[in-house]
Amino acid sequence: MAYEFTKEDLQEIEKIKAKYPEVKAATLPALWVAQNRFGHVDENVQKLVANTLDLPESHVHGVATFYTQYYKEEKGKYVLDVCTCLSCQLCGGYDILEHLEKNLGIKKGETTEDGMFTLNEVECLGACGYAPMMQITNDQYVNNLTTEKVDKVVEDLKNGKVPEYEQIEMPLRNVK
Amino acid sequence: MPEVFIDGERYIYEGEQRLLQFIQDLGKEVPFFCYHPSMSAPANCRQCMVKVGQPIKDRETGEYEVDENGDRVIRWFPKLQTACNMMISDGMVVHTQETDELVSRAQKDNLEFILINHPLDCPICDQAGECPLQIQTYKYGPEGSRFEVKKVHKPKRVQLGPRVILDAERCINCTRCVRFTDEISKTHQLTITSRGDKNYPITAPNTEFDDPYSLNTVDLCPVGALTSADFRFKARVWEMNQTPSIDITNAKGCNIDLWTRDNLVLRVTPRFNEDVNDHWMPDEGREAYRIFNENRISRPKQKLDNEQVQSSWNNAFATISEQLEEAEKSDVLFVASPHASVEENYLFSKFASLTGYRTPLFTPHIEEGKGDGFLITDDLAPNTNGCRLLGLEEKSASEIAKAVKKATVVILLGDHLVDRGILTSEDLKEKFVAAFATNNSETTKIADLVVPITTAAEHAASYVNIDGRIQRTFPAKETKYTNRRLDFEMSEGRLDRYGTSFDNWVTDNNKVDCLPMWEIMRRVAEQAGLEEFQYGSGREVMEEIASISEPFNGVSYEAMDEQSGIQLDSIKPTTVQS
Repeated sequence: MAYEFTKEDLQEIEKIKAKYPEVKAATLPALWVAQNRFGHVDENVQKLVANTLDLPESHVHGVATFYTQYYKEEKGKYVLDVCTCLSCQLCGGYDILEHLEKNLGIKKGETTEDGMFTLNEVECLGACGYAPMMQITNDQYVNNLTTEKVDKVVEDLKNGKVPEYEQIEMPLRNVK
Repeated sequence: MPEVFIDGERYIYEGEQRLLQFIQDLGKEVPFFCYHPSMSAPANCRQCMVKVGQPIKDRETGEYEVDENGDRVIRWFPKLQTACNMMISDGMVVHTQETDELVSRAQKDNLEFILINHPLDCPICDQAGECPLQIQTYKYGPEGSRFEVKKVHKPKRVQLGPRVILDAERCINCTRCVRFTDEISKTHQLTITSRGDKNYPITAPNTEFDDPYSLNTVDLCPVGALTSADFRFKARVWEMNQTPSIDITNAKGCNIDLWTRDNLVLRVTPRFNEDVNDHWMPDEGREAYRIFNENRISRPKQKLDNEQVQSSWNNAFATISEQLEEAEKSDVLFVASPHASVEENYLFSKFASLTGYRTPLFTPHIEEGKGDGFLITDDLAPNTNGCRLLGLEEKSASEIAKAVKKATVVILLGDHLVDRGILTSEDLKEKFVAAFATNNSETTKIADLVVPITTAAEHAASYVNIDGRIQRTFPAKETKYTNRRLDFEMSEGRLDRYGTSFDNWVTDNNKVDCLPMWEIMRRVAEQAGLEEFQYGSGREVMEEIASISEPFNGVSYEAMDEQSGIQLDSIKPTTVQS
């Protein structure tokens, strides 16, 4: 499949390029433009980005493969990254992961047949204070998960409703 | 003069210098993998760590602070520093692994890290024997491994390009190959993919590593991760003899080493020469080893009843003399060759002039547009300038063809004019054609007499490159008539030096029955009654050239060896794009 940037994308990339003294620095944001447009940066998209920025293909490939947040293959519409690192694990991260696996009918690392969800097991996302948690498509965190909360999030996502950003008050030490 | 103290010794230095390079130039050693003098220093192998400090200076008086013993007070860097990207500064104090326990411990631990995922396949690895990782592990590494779990597995036998194969598990991610394509060959074909312990160098998806200089990455690789598709598994390094030589596939004259075993040239690697090729050479030049081994002419051949048959040396010399005597002097044409050395061409033209024939002609072998301004040139011959300086007549292809058509006796020196499309077999019919040549070709097939001569790998001879630099080769493989143990010009390998005669396999068929041009010209000249061709080696020929030919004044094998080639004044070097 041939990928092409829209006019708006190209304008945005031009704006990004103007910010940096060297075009090489625009690789990361340009890859984001591409991932937002196509949902992933596979080989063909990497090539498109390289050609658009006039950089060596190998360089763009190296950068894209370095970061796990760039998807090197097609993913579901929503990518659910469930944390199973220490804090989440202790608070039931694996339960959430298994529940989702059962609920969605897929194993971790897989995508549902309707292309809605991809389920990943990830390491610490830095939200240990509100474990267990998961992240939706490199963006919103859903915190203090329970199986009911997960079911609701999945239902909402199916209806196109993405949870809002959540501001969590940290329990402050009582200072007299 | 600014000064620097390394392991307690005081050295003075000039200009900006990298610490690691400075230490190496002193003849001392600090282990390293990723550093290369011709490329940037990213300091990512972390092997060259040393302890570095700077004396404390009073800013107002500019005096060094001293302790109660009168010694300078040193402020050490809080952590060990990588020597490769550390620039030397005045008064710097450096402790290497030789004087500092912490440094040697750090280097040992770093090696343990590097070796964690490195496979223990040295016995089947091509790099073994010339592997910096292997050598430095012996010298500085830990005795054993404490790593008890499974190593990370990565792709093996990846065909990166037509000439280079990757074994990602062996890679230590020094990025030398990536930097080579970025900084030297500028094709930007390689990158490091993925990260952490899973990373390795690779091309962009669906692209090939077809860089015309790709095999340099194999030399650069400090481990066996990149290997040559051609040389893989052919020979162990320690079984081969290494002989300095010159690339004869183009006019740049890259300095090379020929690696031989059992009188076969098995591979060609670049040899450092700052003024010519630095550390690099084009891939094409490495293919040249085939010229030395394959399709060689062994023993003279003569045409009888339109069929070439094996002849003898005496017969060959007698035939040439007969033909030269019978023909009118004006009907005899000598065609010299930019592919042959200065010495060979000189003898050819000396013979022609002493016997009153026309000065030999030659035609340059040019392929327009092939050159890249780096190490590949339009000129496909190694000695075009040498022919010019000897005063041979330079002719275009059509002029040569015309001259050949007029002659009845044509003597060719190593230039395959039929293969080059300058002559057709029709042109050479009804003539007596003698070819002095190294390899069989369409041209030698047509010749009435084929006299095998030595290649650049079998004699010491010199070539003048495109920039007017004269450089010479050494004999690397024996012919039927030479002996490695008797010829001081020939290199000795480990097995020659330490082995018994049963350790070294010798296949007599690998020795070609050919003679150097000076030997042949002596015999031919004797038949013609000339005594002026008494040479024992190319060295003596060059002495004579230097004494009588203005452009070659001051040239000798000794001088070429000392200065790794001599820039001749009469040719101005072309400007090289860097």
